This record gives sequence, C-alpha cells and structure tokens, in this order.
Amino acid sequence: MNWDSRKTSALKKATILFFSVVFFFASFAAVSAQKKFTKNYPASKNVRLQLTNRTGTVTVEGWDKAEISISAYLEAPAANIEPQSLSGTIVVNLVKDNQGRNEVGNVNFLIRVPYSSSVDIETRMGNLNVSDVRGGLVRAHISSEGDITLTNIAAENVAAENVIGDIFFDGTIAESGSYRFTSTRGNINLRIPFNSSFRLVATAPSTRNISLGDFASGMRFVSDGRRVVGQAGDGSATIAVTNQRGSISFIRR
Amino acid sequence: MNCEQCQELISVYLDSELENKVRVEIQMHLAMCAECAKVCEDFAMILDFCDLEESEYAPPPNPKALWCRINNLIETEVAPEILKEAEIRAEQKRRRWQFSFSQVFASILGIALFSSLMTLIVIKNFSAPIDVSANTAPSLFDRALGKVGLIETPKQTRENRVKGQQAAIDYWNKRVEAKRANWNANLREGFDRNLNEINQVVFEYDQILQQNPNDDLSGEMLDSALNEKMELLREFAEL
Repeated sequence: MNWDSRKTSALKKATILFFSVVFFFASFAAVSAQKKFTKNYPASKNVRLQLTNRTGTVTVEGWDKAEISISAYLEAPAANIEPQSLSGTIVVNLVKDNQGRNEVGNVNFLIRVPYSSSVDIETRMGNLNVSDVRGGLVRAHISSEGDITLTNIAAENVAAENVIGDIFFDGTIAESGSYRFTSTRGNINLRIPFNSSFRLVATAPSTRNISLGDFASGMRFVSDGRRVVGQAGDGSATIAVTNQRGSISFIRR
Repeated sequence: MNCEQCQELISVYLDSELENKVRVEIQMHLAMCAECAKVCEDFAMILDFCDLEESEYAPPPNPKALWCRINNLIETEVAPEILKEAEIRAEQKRRRWQFSFSQVFASILGIALFSSLMTLIVIKNFSAPIDVSANTAPSLFDRALGKVGLIETPKQTRENRVKGQQAAIDYWNKRVEAKRANWNANLREGFDRNLNEINQVVFEYDQILQQNPNDDLSGEMLDSALNEKMELLREFAEL
C-alpha cells in the first residue's frame, strides 16, 4: 500500500467518524426534544376511554389490570395534556386543551386499558391502533389521513372512519352488533370468523373492487357491481362498509 | 303683591271668598297693574258667560222619559227593515243547499279522486320499502305528481339537501380560513390534500348525476361525500 492510498483510507475513516458523531448528537437532540407524560388511573372493568388527539399516533392496548395507563410522547412545541376522570370515563382532549395555540407538535400516545373497556378515540391526523379490547364500543375516527388498525377486537359496536388511509379490522362479530367502516381512499380489510352471521351492505362505487372471499354465499352484487348486499347466517348483526375510491376485502379469520 | 300672586288669586277674588286684607291688596294691585286688570276682566267675562249658558241650556224637566220616547220611535222605524233582511238571508240559505243531480255527482267524484290521490301520495312517501340497491327511475305517475308540486322528485330532494349541506360547508370553510394561519405546514398540507380528495369525489358524483339524475347510489355517495367534507371542515375549525 503506497502513501497516497493510506492517506485516502485515513481520510475516509475520519469522514465516517465525523458523520457518526454528528448523527449521534443529532439523534440525541431529537430524543431529548421530546417530552414524556405518564399517568395511571384506577379503573373499573367497563371503563370508557375517550381520547381526542390533534396529530400523532395513538395506540391503545388491552391488558389484564384494573387500571388505565397513559403515556404520551410530546414533540416540541409541546402540547398541554390534562386528562380527566369523569364518572367511569377517562377523557383526554388535546384539541380542547390546546385550542387557539399556534404550532403544537405531534403527540404520540400509548394507552393501556382493561380488556373490557370501551374505547372512543379520534385524531385530526395520524394513525390509530387498537388491540385486545372486548368492551361494548370501539370507535376510531381520523378526520383526515392515517391508517386504522383494529386487532383482536370483540366489541358489539365498532366504527372506523378516515379520509385517506387503510382500515384493517380483525375481530369477532357479536350477535346484534353494529359494524361500520368508512373511507374515501384506501383499502378496507376485514378479517372475521367464518361462522359470523350478519347483514352486509358493502359499497365501493369507483373501483367496484369488493372481494368477499369465503363470505360470498348469500351475497349479491347490485347497482352495476358497485355494491354488495346480502346476509350471512341469521344476519342478526349489521356490517356497513363504504369505500369511495378504494377496495373492500373480507378475509376468513 | 306681585303679578304672579295676584293672578293666582283672581279666581278666588271673583268668587268673593277672600279675606278683607288680601282682597284690598288685590284691588290695589289691579288699580296699578293694567295687565292683571285685563286678566281679571277676562276671567269675569268668562264667568258671566258660563252663568248665561247654564240658564239657556237647562236640562228638560224629565230627561229619562224623553230618552224613552226617542228609543221607541227608532225601534218602530228600524224593526220592519231588520225583519225583511232576515227573510232574504233565510231564502239565500235555502237556495245555497239546493243542488242539482249533476252538481252532487261531480262533487262525489271530486272527493273520491282527491282522497285516492292523497292515499297514493301517503303510500308513496311513507310506506314504500327502501331498496338501497335499486336504481329506479321515477314512474310516470311520480313525475306527474312532481310536476304539479304534490311530491318532491328525488332530484328536488337531493338538490334541497345539497343546498343545505353547501351552506354548512361555506360556514365551516370561513371558520377554517380564519384559523389555518395558526396551523403548522404539515397540518395545512394534510388538510388540503384530504379536502382535495373529497372535492374530487364530489365532482365525480356531480358529473354522474348530471348524466343520470336517477342514479340513487351516486346520489347517496354524493350525500356521504358532502357530509365528510362538512365533518372535515368542522373538525379542523376547532383547532
């Protein structure tokens, strides 16, 4: 190895080291700019969580404890968070708590609730994830864009709405339950047990892309293939799915 | 005594009800003051005139009996006319309820037609099963009823609903415009992207409905898209 090649190699190493140090400090600065908020509330089995976020990701998980744990990661400029416990309902409303405040950063929530809780969450923008919840209600509403992922849900009333983004539901269909999924652009995928009984109205007017999979029996396409109506089993529950410019798929669980 | 005091006491003075001392003071003032003397003179004239009128227009000796006579006179003159008018009215009433056979038949036919029409309208509007999958054109009968304004055609119903939604959208849009300057760039871009997406959907259904106004599904989807737009604006206006 001659002197020139040694010199080039040393220069390369020095450059890599320099950028590694810069990257490390930049990452540290980004992490330290985030604030964390944590609070726990004792909760009854059928507690209700009502959360309204501005922007950011919200993750709600069911757990085997009689308490609600709220962890929020606040990006700068930090938002105000003032959760309230009102007769069996934990209310967190970041829109109300920060009304008129300029430039509020994202707030990412990780909330743990008892399995049998009801969960009513909404955000103006960002993803919503709910898993392992078996209460009376699961509602996930995104005013604009973001994905909604509902996994291992066993609730009688489920509603998921967004404008742009995918919706995924993986859960059971309760007898006499009501299930509503609405999107403007994105894919709606529903994973439900084969023996579910329900009445279905699924509408995908632009794409006409409605895939019924193993649930095709008892269903018929109407309005030039833009809508599917029908019944599975005794049809005691109702499922209404509307996707203006995307697809709808049923998957056997 | 000054003029004001004097003029206040003139009427009592003319009635001769003053004490001697005051009466003398007034007389002295009247002798010296031409203005007060004129006022006193006028008062005296008015009092004299009143006394005169009272005697000239004295009430009759038995006014009650006089009124009774006048009343009797009026009643004897008016009663025959009233009787005549009552007879004419009774005659008119009798004539009014006398119909020819053709009039009766036409009336029954009219009532039957009207009640059938109303029954059909009620059945159409309130009892018809809602078939969400149907894409039906209005029947000739529906169109005829719509033309005469007895029922709203689906198009009219949709237009009215859209008008209401559009008014709400305009309201929330103004609120958003006032607030969006406070949002961060990311939020503004996201909002615009989503609003644009919904606007495209609205435009598409509007086009479809212009080509086929009887496409119920497109009407339903337009309604849904406008509601979504309203919700988006309302929820962002809260920020």
